[in-house]
Amino acid sequence: MKTVLFNPFKKYQENYLFILGLAATLLGSYLGYFFNVRYDGVLDVHFANNTTSWQPALDNLSNIAVLTILLLALGMYMNRKTRFIDILNITLISRIPFYLIPFFNVGGTMERINSEFLNTLLSEQIPDFSTLPLNSVLTLGIFALISLLFIIWSISLLFNGFKIATNAKSTVHIILFFSSIIIAEILSKLFLNTLTNS
Amino acid sequence: MKKLPVFCPSCESNLLVSELSCSSCDTVISGKFDLPQILQLSAEDQEFVLQFVLNSGSLKKMAIQMNISYPTMRNKLDDIITSLQANSNS
Repeated sequence: MKTVLFNPFKKYQENYLFILGLAATLLGSYLGYFFNVRYDGVLDVHFANNTTSWQPALDNLSNIAVLTILLLALGMYMNRKTRFIDILNITLISRIPFYLIPFFNVGGTMERINSEFLNTLLSEQIPDFSTLPLNSVLTLGIFALISLLFIIWSISLLFNGFKIATNAKSTVHIILFFSSIIIAEILSKLFLNTLTNS
Repeated sequence: MKKLPVFCPSCESNLLVSELSCSSCDTVISGKFDLPQILQLSAEDQEFVLQFVLNSGSLKKMAIQMNISYPTMRNKLDDIITSLQANSNS
């Protein structure tokens, strides 16, 4: 079970992983549209108003492209035998945890709580959070904790998959991997902002 | 099956073959012979090399047979190559 959840790349063949990753991406994009969620960065998920059908799909496409290109370049630098399909599969599969987050916004729950927090935050110079309903605070707290776990799960999938795809073992390789994730996050944000504003 | 020791338990240097004997007539040959490089690998790695040859060098076939992914299999081969290169340089 641990292998299936955190390192499916060790066991499963590339065709199976690709089909699973592609199906998850399509479903995740639809869930983003259905529950008003934007995947506006490699490690980002935000609740939005009236998400159009193409926005979550474009977010995912952009995130997958940026991450795949960066990790493939790094992988090829570390090990010439690194294959495109393995890196693409890692990127596709590692996004699955993010596709579970839209379920938190059933009936616009998280969007409403977000608005409550923002209104409180912006209403006064010194925000008084004690006026917020306890239910909202608890829900937001639980959501924050679960989101953090999902981000850790996603990064674990990326890290374990990258280690297998490139046979990376040294500390320098690991530092370069985490640096490239941070660069991918910045680039994907910039890329999506440019796309949305153009 | 008894495990063939390849490293000295005292100083961890490579062991040499110093005696060979015929199982039928009890002839004994003494000398100092290097162990073949393949025998210096771990039992698991030796089994991998054997399977690699039996599968005509197809890592994809081996991956399906052993129910693990192709890159995992290729990494195993790369690690064995590194280990053989290290042994031949020592």
